[in-house]
Amino acid sequence: MLNYLARRLVLALITCAAISVLTFVIIRLPPGDFVDAYIANLASNGSMVSAEQAVAMRHEYGLDRPVVVQYALWMGRVVRGDFGVSMMWRRPVTEVIGDRLWLTMAISVSALFLTWTIALPIGIYSAVRQYSIGDYIATLLGFMGLAIPNFLLALILMYAGFRYLGLSVGGLFSSDYAQEAWSLAKFWDLMKHIPLPACVLALAGTAQLIRIMRANLLDELRKPYVVSARAKGLSELHVVLKYPVRAALNPFASSIAYLFPYLVSGSIIVSLVLGLPTVGPLLLQALVAQDMFLAGTIVLLLGIMTVIGTLISDLLLMWIEPRIRLRGRA
Amino acid sequence: MRPIALTIAAGLALLTTSALAQTPDLAQSGLVGPLENPTIITDTAQWPKTFHEAPALAALVKAGTLPPVEQRIPQEPMVLKPLRQIGQYGGVWRRGFLGPGDSENGNRLRAADKLLFWDATGTQIAPNVAKGYEISADGKRTTLFLRKGMKWSDGAPFTADDFMFWFDDVYHNKELVPSPSPELSTNGKPGRMIKIDETTIVFEFDDPNFLFPSQLAGDTQVGGGQSRLQSDGRELGLYTPAHYLKQFLPKYASAEVLAKQAKAAGYDNWVQYYKVQSDWRLNKELPTLSAWRMTQPITGQIWVMERNPYFWAVDTAGNQLPYLDKAQLTLAENPEVINLRAIAGEYDYMERFIDLSKLPVFLENQERGHYKVHLDPGFNGGDSEIKFNTAYRLDAEIQKWLGNVDFRRALSLAIDREQLNQAFFLGLGVPSTPIPADIIPQSPGKEWRLRWASTDIAKANAMLDAIGLSKKDGEGYRLRTDNGERLRLQIDVAQTLSPTWPQQAEMIIQQWRGIGIAADMKLLERSLFYTRVRNDQNQLIIFSNNGSESLFLYTIPVLPIDPQSSLNGAAYAQWYTTNGAAGIKPTDPLLLKGYELLDSASGLPEAERTKVAQEIWKIATDQVWSIGLVGLSPAYMGTRVVNDRLENVPARTCVSQHCRTPWSGHPEQWFYK
Repeated sequence: MLNYLARRLVLALITCAAISVLTFVIIRLPPGDFVDAYIANLASNGSMVSAEQAVAMRHEYGLDRPVVVQYALWMGRVVRGDFGVSMMWRRPVTEVIGDRLWLTMAISVSALFLTWTIALPIGIYSAVRQYSIGDYIATLLGFMGLAIPNFLLALILMYAGFRYLGLSVGGLFSSDYAQEAWSLAKFWDLMKHIPLPACVLALAGTAQLIRIMRANLLDELRKPYVVSARAKGLSELHVVLKYPVRAALNPFASSIAYLFPYLVSGSIIVSLVLGLPTVGPLLLQALVAQDMFLAGTIVLLLGIMTVIGTLISDLLLMWIEPRIRLRGRA
Repeated sequence: MRPIALTIAAGLALLTTSALAQTPDLAQSGLVGPLENPTIITDTAQWPKTFHEAPALAALVKAGTLPPVEQRIPQEPMVLKPLRQIGQYGGVWRRGFLGPGDSENGNRLRAADKLLFWDATGTQIAPNVAKGYEISADGKRTTLFLRKGMKWSDGAPFTADDFMFWFDDVYHNKELVPSPSPELSTNGKPGRMIKIDETTIVFEFDDPNFLFPSQLAGDTQVGGGQSRLQSDGRELGLYTPAHYLKQFLPKYASAEVLAKQAKAAGYDNWVQYYKVQSDWRLNKELPTLSAWRMTQPITGQIWVMERNPYFWAVDTAGNQLPYLDKAQLTLAENPEVINLRAIAGEYDYMERFIDLSKLPVFLENQERGHYKVHLDPGFNGGDSEIKFNTAYRLDAEIQKWLGNVDFRRALSLAIDREQLNQAFFLGLGVPSTPIPADIIPQSPGKEWRLRWASTDIAKANAMLDAIGLSKKDGEGYRLRTDNGERLRLQIDVAQTLSPTWPQQAEMIIQQWRGIGIAADMKLLERSLFYTRVRNDQNQLIIFSNNGSESLFLYTIPVLPIDPQSSLNGAAYAQWYTTNGAAGIKPTDPLLLKGYELLDSASGLPEAERTKVAQEIWKIATDQVWSIGLVGLSPAYMGTRVVNDRLENVPARTCVSQHCRTPWSGHPEQWFYK
């Protein structure tokens, strides 16, 4: 077991190193660099930037050095925990992301819980009462949730919220609180803003979960142990919840790998539409402005989170699923 | 990015169509008022004798932490007669901004630090930081008079030494300013800056430079002001707080200590560190001359500026300006959010990113949102225009036609501008060539408004037939003369600059089918767009010519003069700026004539210079260097949402690059009723 763990950890490290190279390559793929994006921004505001100034800026940011050297310098810093200063924000990358990370996670976690609280009971109900009216209605609603693009839903809810409920639109705080220190009032203000994005995000995910839960549970319900449990005279609720539901939950453990990066970036489009100060729009802006350090750090973070998530889900599966056994090499 | 942007646009279209029932005519809309401004009182007899200040500052004076107001304002303050009435202190100006790339949003709120400014129409120079200027009869010497006793926001005196420090130690430091400002030289020969006394600065040139005062007032590399020109990595703009910034220059501080400080702050070298310390958006400690000093940097959720206790303007009752305590900009992730917040009444004065096509929704929600909508039509003739890049060299056949004046005229004649005006400008623009508004002295005159710009399909077809493009394929498209394939043009559109340009280009492409011309629209990410422009890979581009209403302050839309951002021939621009050492010499004699006229302008007094501008406009219009589509509209920062309670706001303000909208409305004298 320890041996397995050690091997997985080494593999994870190698994967992370590969991710870092890939990150760097991907970010450099679009033509041009930060200075090009900078000139474009100034030019569209009516300012001129001379060719000499562009050259000087490339030198200032080290963009005139060979790619390999740039990568080595960047990685050299990253392993020491220094992610550099964002070219666009002129602040340490960790600060820029840090501001938004917690808010992003708050939204993603609330969306996740909402998804589960809606989807799991409906999934169980649909399986137990397969082809009933309730099953059809739940399925229909679920698929509608899947079919409606969530940015459109966000727009409609945003307009309705503004037009008929007088809510302030966009963002996670009213302007009075955005820069305040944390207080009860500010927390309440945040609580008033979170339901909208959380609902929009949650609705999109429910259909998928309902279907997975339903299918898994249907498989289990037909198995002999359920029949014998029923034969023993256990109550229907007890029969369903105690054994088959637990077994049907297995696939969820393996989806943790995708959950981790989702927590950080699952809401890019909805965040853009609703104007939420989360990591998603930050990544998009950084990519557009070709801010290598900021975009690089976020992409790297996502990659590493996937690796960690995969590791955890493998370990979890091993633990809850007795059929998985490690075969030691002789 | 593209699908997101398009879908957001589609979604908002869904919200707006319901209210699009009627399209008001601009003149009858009641939304356009007369151009107006507060009056600057120069007659010292009318100046106030006693002075007053904001309650918060009075408390500081009482506590002994701030000198009394008489000692903070200059002996020669700027005295403003407010637009309608003397105001009262207090209140916050709420706005929105789009993040660290949106520097201009804040730069414009700090335009009080410009040396000279403009009147309400944006055509006459007005005093500002400098109380006045004088130009010698031969045009070689411009003298700038500063205000005696004027102070920086930290109380240190603002004098001619701040100019000399910038000129000697910043401007001439190659690491900070790699290339000299074109405005500080005449015919390639550098000019000089000379200190006469504490409040007098002279600029001396080898050749006549009558244009210089206008450049000092314009949005140029000499006149933009400290905030505009010493942010985003630039160190231009004629003056800088010497007493504060000396500590960050190796000349005055130990290089080792500086290197250590830079490293500690996360920067690789002193240059990066200096550029952050001198950038008003990032450094709270940086002294300013603006009405509000920055207290929360651009890098957060809120970007805040608070009253400058040493601001140098007072009203006629002796109250130190500004009236408003704060300007506060809240981060929005995209322009649509800004529009929605404006509709919800969350902004007090917002014109940036406000989308004219949403006007019906803005009007519908005026009462609920407690705001008023004003429309400020621009003075430039092309809020959208199609630019030809005759320096395009990737395809000889296309190049040949782009360089053919009849081809350009025919393309122009085939366009139905009124359709564009109705569809994208709510009928509030004017179908026009690129020439400026009639009230602008540089305009060549009414008769040029529709030169080669009326819709005449038959004539356009005949012209194309006559120049040798008479062969057509089965679908009616004209064929290339070299290989017999269909002639296809491409219109490049830069993303995020204007939401409706892609659709405008598509409409034009439809209209060109009527004369058998095929074209494609290509939507490009902004930096890729400019990278292609720098390499002359663009054929046609849809863009605005905003700023060209003051031709010599912003010539880029008309003549290719900037190799980095000219959309109509980067290689020509390089040839022009390097005096023929690099780039490509244009073959069009009229373009060379245009350059010649432009070069002559700075040596001419204003009246003659204006005639030169008219001459350039006539050539540009007759030659159709670009196809003007719709102009003189409120599309660019001209749709303004103003809090009901905000007073002294002009009914109409100048929207123009050099007017620094919204500063053209003099926010220092706005107040809440």
